[in-house]
Amino acid sequence: MTPKKMKRRGILAFVQNKPGTLNKISSMIRRKMYNVDTLTVCKAKAPGVSRMTITLREDDEAKVTQIIRQLEKFTEVIRAKELDRDQSYWREVAIVKFELEDKEYAKLKKKYQLEILDSQPHDIHIVQIAGPTERIDMFLDDVGVDHFIEIARTGVTAMDK
Amino acid sequence: MKGTELVLRALRDRGVQYIFGYTGGAIMPVFDEMEKQPGFKFVMPRHEQGATFMAQGLSRASLSTETPQVGVCMATSGPGAMNLVTGVADAHMDSIPIVAITGQVATGVIATDAFQESDVVGVMMPICKQTYMPLTAEEIEKTIHEAFYVATTGRCGPVVIDIPKDIQFAETGKNYAFDPKKFRPKLPGFYYHPTPQRDVVHKAVEMLNRSERPVMFCGHGVIASNAGALLQEFAEKSNIPVAFTLHGLSAMPLDHPLSLGMMGMHGTVEANRAVMNADLILSFGMRFDDRVTGKLNEYAANADVIHVEIDPSELDKNVATTVAINADVYRTLHVMLSDPELIHKPRRRWLKEIDDNRKETAGVEEEIARGVGDGGQLLMKTIVRRLSEITEGRDIIVPDVGQHQMMAARFYNYQTNNSWFASGGAGTMGCSLPMAIGAKLARPDERVWSISGDGGFQMNIQELGTIMEQGTDVKIMILNNGYLGMVRQWQTLFFDGRYAGTPMQSPDFGLIASAYGIPYQKVTELDQVDAAIKSAIEHDGAYILEFICDPSEVILPMIPAGGGFGDMIVSRPKA
Repeated sequence: MTPKKMKRRGILAFVQNKPGTLNKISSMIRRKMYNVDTLTVCKAKAPGVSRMTITLREDDEAKVTQIIRQLEKFTEVIRAKELDRDQSYWREVAIVKFELEDKEYAKLKKKYQLEILDSQPHDIHIVQIAGPTERIDMFLDDVGVDHFIEIARTGVTAMDK
Repeated sequence: MKGTELVLRALRDRGVQYIFGYTGGAIMPVFDEMEKQPGFKFVMPRHEQGATFMAQGLSRASLSTETPQVGVCMATSGPGAMNLVTGVADAHMDSIPIVAITGQVATGVIATDAFQESDVVGVMMPICKQTYMPLTAEEIEKTIHEAFYVATTGRCGPVVIDIPKDIQFAETGKNYAFDPKKFRPKLPGFYYHPTPQRDVVHKAVEMLNRSERPVMFCGHGVIASNAGALLQEFAEKSNIPVAFTLHGLSAMPLDHPLSLGMMGMHGTVEANRAVMNADLILSFGMRFDDRVTGKLNEYAANADVIHVEIDPSELDKNVATTVAINADVYRTLHVMLSDPELIHKPRRRWLKEIDDNRKETAGVEEEIARGVGDGGQLLMKTIVRRLSEITEGRDIIVPDVGQHQMMAARFYNYQTNNSWFASGGAGTMGCSLPMAIGAKLARPDERVWSISGDGGFQMNIQELGTIMEQGTDVKIMILNNGYLGMVRQWQTLFFDGRYAGTPMQSPDFGLIASAYGIPYQKVTELDQVDAAIKSAIEHDGAYILEFICDPSEVILPMIPAGGGFGDMIVSRPKA
């Protein structure tokens, strides 16, 4: 029996942009025995502050609260909260290199908004696709596992409505 | 100014008197500066781990004095710093403020696997409250002041400052200025809310007033916020019994009529039954760890929980609260005491039930009175009780970790506020001897007892050298039963008496004592116990007493690990 897939959680943290902060946060999450699904960091509007979006799997509300409280305990973490899936936008970008015949490729171009980065001989294409995780997963399904050569995904970044 | 001068200036500005340090290549410049600028009392341990526990002893014991101090320990890079790890982790588990300063290899060779290089910041990060590595001379003072602030504010803890050797030698710019009085650390993410909300506290008071079977928990937070006297006043005013965590001991007299003694794995019957049958728990400054709660899903099943705690990440961590008060214990008790609606309820049935349970633990009194085991060897319980009676429960007790620690927790009648310093969370064997040295330096006018087993004593036995050199007046008790007693007890109860890795041979402690010039007595007979304790007391200076104890003695009651309060073993199973 395969274990039931747990609910995906998004955590947004504003942290001081200092060496070691990422290490501290990822160590804590590891110690709590989670495997991070995605983790993205960028500069926030305020100077010296970074914005970190972490996604991981957990069904238990109390455990998510515990992670947030432990995050907030770190001196470097200015604020942390859970992102409500219905009240926020979660997006990621993928660059995908694949081999596909013209007919199939034309179908995909019509179905998805792709930015074409490169088209090489022998039906090899490099495209960029952005959107919710599910949409990128769907695109990859449509390309088909036998056809793609390499995938680079950024992981989720998110913003409240 | 030079980096090393700034290190010492910052420590002096922070009121540091003692430095527990062991030199080496990468910290030499700071030591050199100490030689040039007298004023610090320097104590050299015989192993860096000793320095961490001396620093802990100083911090723990001085907490309740008029001049609280933060223990400072120093070590060189690489192995020196790595030898601090256990003591720092121990301080982190027990929320003890210490500042550890380590030398690091020069910035130019960091991360090249230079001689005596270790990634100190990387290693320490998960086991301390904060780590720092200043990279310019200008950062040094700011860093040290911030480190002291972080170590001592909110839930206390250890802080590590790793200073590369070239930064110790570096000079500040000409315009460098630093005013410690005006310094405020810029820590936008540092959460510290000591003041409780009045309406929430009032809600708690209303719950207490309604409760027929309440019990109060006294944790380390009561000691840390110096709230023992307030807690006692509150217990008396509200007529609620008090159970203690290991670190809550000595916050109020242990023989107070409302005291239930220690709770948890080796707690008293009356404390654990009270928790099991309570309808309301009011807990102050503790974290519901597994040694306190046992099996969580059976824990205090019928009780509402009011949890007062300075660290918000402890609230609802292990036990769900009905009312969570994220505040300082002292301030919360102050607000509770001034609530005009707080009532003194007789609760005769509840207190009678508790008194009936006390009789069950009282069975142990017969054992204490007998004083020896079946083989005629001394019982640890009796030795601790004799010490308690001779010293009227007023001395400072620094136990090591293991069976004797639980005996010391249970059978010494603590009367003096903040007089019990144990390694609780980490349970570090070997902590006692160095921690007792630090405690004695903090409170020179009080008598300090280091109580160890034969196992733990040999883990930091080298600190006898520090005692010899400093002339520290620490009274040392070795309760020698030839085994690692606590593990042996588990082997007796749960492993069919297979004593794997617990029997141990000890050296002639008398010869060791004489090598260090410390008077020594070996005690084998019950009728020698009192006289031996008295001769240690009468001697001006350190003294070692070795008691030959019964290896089959057990500390009961006991809740097996992972068990619930209903699984409590109260009396010894028949062989």
